[in-house]
Amino acid sequence: MKTRRSVSPGRIALFVTMLAIAVAMLYPFWVMITDSLHTQSQFISGSGFSLGSWRQLSAALPVGRQVLNSTLICTVSIFVILAVGLPAGFAFAKLRFRASSLVFLGVVSAMMVPLQAIVMPEFVNITRIGLTSGYFGAVLVYAALGTPFSIFLFTTYFRGVPDELVEAGIVDGLGYVGALWRLVVPIAVPAIATVTVLQFIQIWDDLLVGLLFIQNTADRPITVGLAALASGRTTSIPQLMAGSFVSALPAMLVYLGFQRYLVKGLTMGIDR
Amino acid sequence: MAAITFDGVTKIFAGKPAVDSLSLHIDDGEFMVLVGPSGCGKTTALRMLAGLEEITTGRLLIGDQVVNNVLPKDRDVAMVFQNYALYPHMSVAQNMGFALKIRGESKDVIRSKVSDAAEILRLTDYLDRRPRALSGGQRQRVAMGRAIVRSPQAFLMDEPLSNLDAKLRVEMRLEIARIQRLLGVATLYVTHDQVEAMTMGDRVAVMRDGQLQQVARPQDLYDRPANDFVAGFIGSPPMNLLRAGVARDGDVTLSIAGQSVTLPERLASPYHLANGEVTFGIRPEDIVVGATGLRARVERCEALGAETLVHLSLNAKGASQHLVAKAGPRTTIVAGDDLAVTFALEHAHFFDVTSGATLRVGS
Ligand SMILES: Nc1ncnc2c1ncn2[C@@H]1O[C@H](COP(=O)(O)OP(=O)(O)OP(=O)(O)O)[C@@H](O)[C@H]1O
Ligand SMILES: [Mg+2]
Repeated sequence: MKTRRSVSPGRIALFVTMLAIAVAMLYPFWVMITDSLHTQSQFISGSGFSLGSWRQLSAALPVGRQVLNSTLICTVSIFVILAVGLPAGFAFAKLRFRASSLVFLGVVSAMMVPLQAIVMPEFVNITRIGLTSGYFGAVLVYAALGTPFSIFLFTTYFRGVPDELVEAGIVDGLGYVGALWRLVVPIAVPAIATVTVLQFIQIWDDLLVGLLFIQNTADRPITVGLAALASGRTTSIPQLMAGSFVSALPAMLVYLGFQRYLVKGLTMGIDR
Repeated sequence: MAAITFDGVTKIFAGKPAVDSLSLHIDDGEFMVLVGPSGCGKTTALRMLAGLEEITTGRLLIGDQVVNNVLPKDRDVAMVFQNYALYPHMSVAQNMGFALKIRGESKDVIRSKVSDAAEILRLTDYLDRRPRALSGGQRQRVAMGRAIVRSPQAFLMDEPLSNLDAKLRVEMRLEIARIQRLLGVATLYVTHDQVEAMTMGDRVAVMRDGQLQQVARPQDLYDRPANDFVAGFIGSPPMNLLRAGVARDGDVTLSIAGQSVTLPERLASPYHLANGEVTFGIRPEDIVVGATGLRARVERCEALGAETLVHLSLNAKGASQHLVAKAGPRTTIVAGDDLAVTFALEHAHFFDVTSGATLRVGS
């Protein structure tokens, strides 16, 4: 027999609220999709259906290439952020070394510096070392921006891992590096997922860094491409919507993929 | 398998010695228990042996190798942690085989060693489980299993039973002692439970404030404590330690709380007793409650089932001393009674008032 939950007024109110929120969240996507399925003139008149804007988009913009660029930039940046953040977090949380709390304080304060405040000096630096062609300059900037937060998050997370776990591994014959990769990282999946998703969304959605630090047109990420489209002389709204949808999709997919771990990551420490 | 030697080992934390020139030898195959009150440096001593803590001064040997600067992974000792520290993302079998895997043993070797250990520990049915899905006692056995599959030079255990309930503790106490004897690996076992110390160890080392007080077989520790600290620490309830005046004239007259007790020459001779003051020690079971002897008033009775603890105050001329005696299970003694007590003086102990050291001749 199925047990039926009672339908109390409270539950109905909750349901209605959640529904309203869901509609508010999904409405922009609806607009993006429906508007993109018009031509510019159909859009103005408000009726009709056409895939023309999608065709125009791929003609006006190397969408595939740009999505690939964005993906590459995100992947490499996040890889660097994790590769630096995990060992650094481990060191701050588990090792005793001179001035560790001072250094940690320095790292945490770096988190507070907004990109806009340092973007010009950064630009000068990156240009001087000649990294504005290709992705690498942008990757470096993204990594530098994301690393302090990831170090902070991993340090906090690893502090919750009992010292004895690491020590047991060391007595069993691991070094610190082994203890990090074989004992700590496997139980840090929620923290890793959190960093990955948050950084992915941030980097994927970013315009400023891509615009400034990637000078080669061919290496541009999708956000820069869309911005170019929007600032063109004849901006086609349906075409822009199609582009926006394409660029929003990967971030959503990554979020959905990691969601399971993400919830654990953001509430971590609560039920350990 | 190897012997372990602490040779004047000192550990200083922030200017204060946590372990103070510890010299202790553990024979190959011996079960050595390290006891002492909280904060006396037991864990620190163990961690230095495991290589988790650096040694400030002194030498530490495993076999005849000085290991002061040997990395933990090269010391080949196994440690059982108080909270077990099992790897949460590995199954029981993986937990137990991990150290072997790190050392590059083949899968078959690992499997057979793990299954042998599981057999000894009665864990065979749980090999595929994660630690999360085990009871406290089972986790404890996995922690033991992780140590024994390695056939290490030595076992180090830091209060491995303190997280278990009383019944399981008794069970695992026997179990650990059995396994240790079976494997014959030198073991340093830290506890602050003196029942564990008395029942498990071949020998017991008592520490206080980082300093070793005495190392002896359990019964010797009980019968011949080297000082008043050991006397008061080993035994439950602890030995009564009373201030007594000594007047020696062939026989010795002790005055305790204004009352006199005569210690015949024969019983006084094993001790250096000179006129003056001593600390007189008598265990609760060596106090006889009867009609004659020192006058005492009952302050409180604690019925423990198998026996009753009688708290007494010896009272005279304003000097009062507190005393605990043991009586039978269904005694009629109640608080407020005035009684007389005599001491089984052949089991009495005498300690120096200032140093606390035993006054036994030849100690
Ligand atoms: N990492 C450390 N830094 C500073 N002091 C420490 C450190 N570890 C231990 N101590 C100090 O050293 C002394 C001995 O500690 P230890 O942990 O060895 O005691 P213990 O005998 O194991 O006590 P317990 O029975 O409570 O476990 C204590 O005074 C403790 O405060
Ligand atoms: Mg301890």
